[in-house]
Amino acid sequence: MGDVLSGLATGFGVALMPFNLMLVLLGCFAGTLIGALPGLGPINGVAILLPIAYGLGFPPESALILLAGIYYGAEYGGRISSILLNVPGDSGAVMTTLDGHPMALKGEAGRALSLSAVASFVGGTIAVVLMSLFGPLLAQFAVTFSPANYVALMVFAFASLASLVGKSTVKTLLGALIGLMLATIGIDSNTGVARYTFGLPDILAGIDFLIVVVGLFGMAELLHLVEQQVSGKLKTLPVDKSFVRWADLARTKWTILRCSLIGFFIGVLPGTGASVASAVAYGTEKRMAGAEGQKTFGTGDVRGLAAPEAANNAAAGGAMVPMLTLGIPGSGTTAILLGALLMFNIQPGPLMFAQRPEIAWGLIASMYIGNVALLIINLPLVGLFARMLTIPQHYLTPLIAILAFVGIYSIVGNPFDLFMITWLGIFGWFLRKLDFSLAPVILGFVLGGLFENNLRRALSISGGDWMILVDNWKSLLLYALALLVVAVPVWMGRRARKMAEADI
Amino acid sequence: MADRIFAGLLLLVTLAYGFIAFTIIKAPFQYDPLGPESWPQILSVVAVLCILGVLWKPDVEHLNVAGRTWFRLGTMVVLLFAYAELYEPLGFILSTILFGTIVARMLGAAWIRAGLFGLGAGVLGWLLCVEILDLNLPDADLLAQAYSLSEGTI
Repeated sequence: MGDVLSGLATGFGVALMPFNLMLVLLGCFAGTLIGALPGLGPINGVAILLPIAYGLGFPPESALILLAGIYYGAEYGGRISSILLNVPGDSGAVMTTLDGHPMALKGEAGRALSLSAVASFVGGTIAVVLMSLFGPLLAQFAVTFSPANYVALMVFAFASLASLVGKSTVKTLLGALIGLMLATIGIDSNTGVARYTFGLPDILAGIDFLIVVVGLFGMAELLHLVEQQVSGKLKTLPVDKSFVRWADLARTKWTILRCSLIGFFIGVLPGTGASVASAVAYGTEKRMAGAEGQKTFGTGDVRGLAAPEAANNAAAGGAMVPMLTLGIPGSGTTAILLGALLMFNIQPGPLMFAQRPEIAWGLIASMYIGNVALLIINLPLVGLFARMLTIPQHYLTPLIAILAFVGIYSIVGNPFDLFMITWLGIFGWFLRKLDFSLAPVILGFVLGGLFENNLRRALSISGGDWMILVDNWKSLLLYALALLVVAVPVWMGRRARKMAEADI
Repeated sequence: MADRIFAGLLLLVTLAYGFIAFTIIKAPFQYDPLGPESWPQILSVVAVLCILGVLWKPDVEHLNVAGRTWFRLGTMVVLLFAYAELYEPLGFILSTILFGTIVARMLGAAWIRAGLFGLGAGVLGWLLCVEILDLNLPDADLLAQAYSLSEGTI
């Protein structure tokens, strides 16, 4: 406990510096805006702005604080377009449309927005508190991990990714493999042999992480927007004067608490982020509300609004835990943050709390501040954000391309990179069209080097004996968890199908 | 069908990837049991298995993209490549004005508004990114040359 408090003191020392404080506010504001714009979610926002944040030459903790602010700000802002437009601002906010939009239709948009802001705040704060309590413990435990344990941990991460993300397990796995294969391009760090460079000097050092991120998320999203181009303006419902009542909060307090916990733990699982968390939370609450709830959920029930909002913000926080403590990101967006850390030459993982406390704790402290800031920004300024929703797509789309080009060009000034992001964008668009999710690709790309190095290190320790991978209880436990996470959804699916058949 | 075509292409790429891993990549000397080729070998085998899985049970039949949408997407891609090509020769301001105007116009803005948008994005973007944030963006090589030629100072 003393560790946690002294760590938090360090962290607040960093986060409360005027410059960092300004970045928290800026990040939260920009994040809310990005989250609110339909189509642009946290992952695209962070992806497009990452190279610019890198190019500004901030110290690593400041850049990370800014990016993290954008990340959870966007989780926060996603609800605005869900409620007012019935178009989710990002995938985590899909469930919010179910009860949020009906409330707005009933003329209670203000009430829905303020209630969901409070639910998001509570969810986010609970997640940060749990993170500061359990993060260091997990890190202490993870310090004892051997390379073989890390291999097992990666297997677990990819197993939970494959079973919980996307529609098709095979496709998710294939996506992760594409990422892993992309990561092998470049000079092998152990032996100095060039792999898959085909003599191109531009990729000798590997494909730059920023290029993959901006290409797959920024540019693919841009092509998606062009494809979905809607003619005419989307119609937003007006924000009225209604406001959240104490009765609403009293009615939803257990819902919010439960869903925050659900969201946090789902967020901690590698690979699964806000969208899974909000779906599970909504389903749970609907079931718990009983027969009466079956009727009111989906027609503007306050509980159905609070549940996914608390869960997706808690999941955003939860996803940071494995990223900071194990170096294994819990979601696509945290994979990008992890890549950002690596670019600053900081190895995320168990040693970070000991070696670079100003970064680990500074980030955590900035999340406490950010959550409060978001609540304060969101309650009075919601009308402003609502007006931003009407920015026509034909200005938004070229703007994304310009931002992406500025960011990528300003890294090293190589026009070859601009072609690379465009090609990767086309590739990413095809993947999306074919129901691959892109998060596994980036997860595979970020973890590729770590996975390979740990495997090689483990086998060097054992002198080439593969049994080292399974001769330790920690590895075995992780493999068992991996099997479990794959088997349980399959088993549940079978059972649900059987029950459905029995009903007929 | 779309799934199968994509998976087929991916299979070809993966086979080539695996072929290189199994035959070409070699370290001249090494002390570790796993060399630079082992990891790509493992990846290529697993990837081929996954691709065969997709080929066996595809789930996306059509891309569901209308002809006009294909046209718009194609134009967008061409414009992006043109933007990338002209980024250095024309410099940030000019290429962005052109790109912003044409894309906004193509996606449905009126000419005047699209032009204003492009102008704003180019000029304000330059002021913000270069003058204030001090990022590295290309200034106009060609224009600078033309300017200095007309001044006769080369």
